[in-house]
Amino acid sequence: MAGAQTNRLDNGGLIDRSAPLNFRFDGKTFQGFQGDTLASALVANGVKLVGRSFKYHRPRGILTAGSEEPNALVELRTGARREANTKATTAELYEGLEAASQNRWPSLRHDVMSVNQLFAPIFVAGFYYKTFMWPAKFWEMIYEPAIRRAAGLGRAAIVADPDHYDKAWAHCDVVIAGSGPAGLAAALAAGRSGARVILCEEDFTLGGRLLSDGGTIDGLPAAEWLTRTLTELASTPDVRIMTRTTLFGVYDGGTYGAIERVNDYLPTPPEHQVRQRLWRIVAQRCVVAAGAIERPIVFAGNDTPGVMMASAMRTYVTRYAATPAKRIALFTNNEDGWRTVETALAAGLQVAAVIDARPDVSPAHRSLASRNGFTVLHGSVSGVDGGKDGVRKIAVSLTGGARAEVEADGLAVSGGWNPAVGLTSYHRGRPKWRDDISAFVPDGAPPGMAAAGAANGDFGLGACLSQGFATGAAAARDAGRNGNAGAAPIADDEAFSLTPLWHVAGKGKAFVDQQHDVTASDIELAQREGFESVEHLKRYTTLGMATDQGKTSNVAGLAIMAAVTGKSIPETGTTIYRPPYVPVAIGAFAGHHRDETFHATRLTPSHHWAAEQGAIFVDTGLWKRAQWYPRAGEKDWLESVTREVKAVRSGVGFCDVSTLGKIDVHGPDAGAFLDRVYINTFSSLAVGKARYGLMLREDGLVYDDGTTSRLAEDHYFLTTTTAKAGLVMQHLEFCRQVLFPELDVQLTSVSDQWAQFSIAGPKTRDLLKEIVDPAEDLSNEGFPFMGAREVALRGGIKARLFRISFSGEMAFEISVPARYGGAMARNLMQAGKPFGVTPYGTEALGVMRVEKGHVAGPELSGTTTAADLGLGKMMSTKKDFIGRVMAGREALVAPDRQVVVGIKPVDKARRLRSGAHIIPKGQTPGPDNDQGYVTSVCFSPTLDQWIGLGLVERGRERIGEIVHAHDPLRGEDYDVELCNPVFYDPDGGRQRG
Amino acid sequence: MSNSAIPSSTIRMEDASVAEFSWDIRSPIERALVVGPYGALGEAGVSLTEIRNFDLVQVMARRGKAAEMTKPAKARFGVAAPEMPKAVSTADATLIWSGPDQFFVLSKGGKHTTEALVQTFASSASLSDQSHARVLISISGPKGRMMLAKLSSIDLHPDAFPAGAAATTSMDHTSVTLWRGNDRPDGQAVFNVLVFATFAESLWHTMLDSAAEYGVEIGHSEDLA
Repeated sequence: MAGAQTNRLDNGGLIDRSAPLNFRFDGKTFQGFQGDTLASALVANGVKLVGRSFKYHRPRGILTAGSEEPNALVELRTGARREANTKATTAELYEGLEAASQNRWPSLRHDVMSVNQLFAPIFVAGFYYKTFMWPAKFWEMIYEPAIRRAAGLGRAAIVADPDHYDKAWAHCDVVIAGSGPAGLAAALAAGRSGARVILCEEDFTLGGRLLSDGGTIDGLPAAEWLTRTLTELASTPDVRIMTRTTLFGVYDGGTYGAIERVNDYLPTPPEHQVRQRLWRIVAQRCVVAAGAIERPIVFAGNDTPGVMMASAMRTYVTRYAATPAKRIALFTNNEDGWRTVETALAAGLQVAAVIDARPDVSPAHRSLASRNGFTVLHGSVSGVDGGKDGVRKIAVSLTGGARAEVEADGLAVSGGWNPAVGLTSYHRGRPKWRDDISAFVPDGAPPGMAAAGAANGDFGLGACLSQGFATGAAAARDAGRNGNAGAAPIADDEAFSLTPLWHVAGKGKAFVDQQHDVTASDIELAQREGFESVEHLKRYTTLGMATDQGKTSNVAGLAIMAAVTGKSIPETGTTIYRPPYVPVAIGAFAGHHRDETFHATRLTPSHHWAAEQGAIFVDTGLWKRAQWYPRAGEKDWLESVTREVKAVRSGVGFCDVSTLGKIDVHGPDAGAFLDRVYINTFSSLAVGKARYGLMLREDGLVYDDGTTSRLAEDHYFLTTTTAKAGLVMQHLEFCRQVLFPELDVQLTSVSDQWAQFSIAGPKTRDLLKEIVDPAEDLSNEGFPFMGAREVALRGGIKARLFRISFSGEMAFEISVPARYGGAMARNLMQAGKPFGVTPYGTEALGVMRVEKGHVAGPELSGTTTAADLGLGKMMSTKKDFIGRVMAGREALVAPDRQVVVGIKPVDKARRLRSGAHIIPKGQTPGPDNDQGYVTSVCFSPTLDQWIGLGLVERGRERIGEIVHAHDPLRGEDYDVELCNPVFYDPDGGRQRG
Repeated sequence: MSNSAIPSSTIRMEDASVAEFSWDIRSPIERALVVGPYGALGEAGVSLTEIRNFDLVQVMARRGKAAEMTKPAKARFGVAAPEMPKAVSTADATLIWSGPDQFFVLSKGGKHTTEALVQTFASSASLSDQSHARVLISISGPKGRMMLAKLSSIDLHPDAFPAGAAATTSMDHTSVTLWRGNDRPDGQAVFNVLVFATFAESLWHTMLDSAAEYGVEIGHSEDLA
């Protein structure tokens, strides 16, 4: 079959006959040319049937030649790249293109589900609401899956999209949507004025209707003027022309969304290139020159393949040299439709008849008809005889009541034009009705936006050019660009006369929304059932809710509703317009952010060293942290973690704790500042000392904790938890700038400046002596618990050493500038070799903190007070601090609050799990006697059993009590004992030793 | 402390058991950065160069001492510190605005260390060493702006962002300091990005992804241009 382009003209068209392209549709091979869309190539091959309809599985053809297409939707490409609901009318043809029709089985020509048509009486408006009401549980299990199989559009690819998408910003003075005569004239004017211009055109070829309708501009044929204009624009500085790019949305502050289909015209994007790119265009002014959409007239059988918009038929014949039919009829209510007859005759097609709904037809048209031997019928099309092979006969109701029949294989329809009012209406602008063109035109456009030409309801070529030019010049001026725009291009306006006609009564289904199979009678039914408001009408019938968002159907639907309610169309009103103007792939919104690049990743200074050691990493916020370091032969994580804990408790280990937030607090008032943000006092801290600090929120609940050291009179080094690092920095900046501007204090995040390691275990000092300059005194007297100072290391660099312990062991934290982080890890391994040094991860860190009863994230949950955590005595009574007053509220000091307590299972062999609820022994679990829950658990290698921390009502008064742990999530019930939360070395001798 | 000086390893003779320690410096993106071409073949559209040897000091005026802070700055650098989002370059330092009454001193390793600047500013400013807290990436090439348009919401048109313009902004949800340096001898614009060290490898990969279609020339240099 390839090569048999039966419906291709020998000459003309913007196609390259020297560049044939093979493609497949529903498994059959065809040939088209470079410059074709899939739709035009199908037309050229005489293919009329391209899909089955959503609900009734009716055969459908190609209705339009643009992004408003409701019917010709295909699954484009195969496998992981399969893209459902792609409009054949905008899909650019490429060599090897594969497309399949949708919503049919087993084949497009023999579709089993077309029996749905026989049940049409029940598939009326509100069908789902009426039919599947009960039993309710049937919906999820039975009704919905069945409906989804029977009714629907294309299939998603299911597997991950192998292609890449990205996002970019662009900035300009004037952004223009559309490159038809109005858009090009606007670009000329704005560009000549010196403005930075971005012109977006969704088509792959610039020119808009000029490509299909031609004309004479400045005395030149349209094609010549177009070439001259594009040459000028290409040489104008700061004019950027973006084809294959649809401006789809308007956002705050003059930001516009646009989708560029960068490589959709190729089977696969070239290496390193993206398929699509999402643009955020920031512009001072926007000119909407998006044109107008020709509207159908609703009549019985108007969805038969071969019925096509008159302007689309001109596009296929003129732009693509492809003839949708051999013998056409035209049904029009306006002058513009007649241009299709002229185009068809020029292309050598037969014209069977023109059915004109207006009372008068011009003498020129009458003479055209008589010269070319076709009849002009006054009346309307009332029915179409045809099917999946296309139109055969057209029934006509003549004015005065008589009937006629026309034999034709194609029917061009023109019901007038609707300006594309989407963009101008996205900020709740309501378009206004214009009687002279019987259409809505833009009104209440977002600030900085103006429509021009057909998009503004002025359809003539001359008007498009002059209005586009004036709007472009004004936009440039408003943006402060005042260069000489020169003269506007000049052309004549075509005649435009229209007699409104929306719906022709007749037998058989007359479709308003072809994509969602909404008929004129559905709208009448919705009105009878009380769904008169346009928003109700839309949702009850699904009119305008398909992927085309009702571009060809909304106004006709409103008109029919207006007719049955006896209101005018403007009284009936329009529904709210919302972006996007065309469907945009979710992949484009995600851009780079998918899979491992879903979010930015932070790596610790020793990350690559840890990776070399085979560490298992855990995601902690944005961080990757070493969770444990498995060794050969270890059967699971617990075995590795247990080994790491035992190694620390009996020898020495180290852990990268650089993820803690670190803040330099500088200035003469640094101490006073910290006194106000912490519950305890820091102004009295001696230089060279560290102190544990706790911060509250304004509401009196605990915010964060950490150790803060005083390195100099006017310099503190504050640490935060990993999770709250950024938030605490923001909080402190707020305190500094807003709450306490009188204090002389300066804050800088130094989280990334320092690589910080915790070194813990009884042999810590032995290890440190190897690495720290021997001149430094590390003895208990020379460097006591909670000491903090700079020390020299062997090899000539300096470090900060803090004698603090999270593990409960003799421990230090050591900081070096971050680029030494890898070297520090290697040197600790080397220095610690004689002592069996063991790197440990966050799991061992967590085990040791639970053994030691230290609170962490699960206890600092945003619901606990300092007293709940057992830290109430830290709250200074000698000063004010953030949260002090609110912490005194009745409920926050109530004696029956849930407080931190230790928990161990009565059956020593039992595993604990966090989240289990604590119930008094002997009571039936329930919300009335729920006394708290288990917050943190671990297997303690030191105690050789599972232990945990919990928040339990009056917990500290109940040490030794046996209570019940109820875990409905995992179906577990067992007894536990409340105990001292400090399981290990309760008097702290080890960390001070 | 400069982020590039490599202290020599030592063996203390007075303590025979002491091992030898080498404190080699590693840039946070040393592993991710592979010198040479990347992405599309042909003439590279984007050149990405990591600058490895620099001192970076955050200078913040103490309360009410913004005016007082300008004098020692002028005396030391010969130029006024920027009071709005600008970067001012001298022979051996670049002063980059980083917020109201604060700026960065970026200098070739060892020239203007925190220790040296503490003397200069005395009690007029608080100083914080950021030499290890940031990675410095220099971006140029004919497609440099195209690539940056994928990362930054800032208008980098020559009229809107001339040489010396600076911004405290974000790229790929990551805080950065961005400024335009002096043009290259061939006239190409140069954009410099300081990114937090722990985010740097992640942003580096995003940069490569964004630039791959234009072809990338990847390199690193010890010296600030």
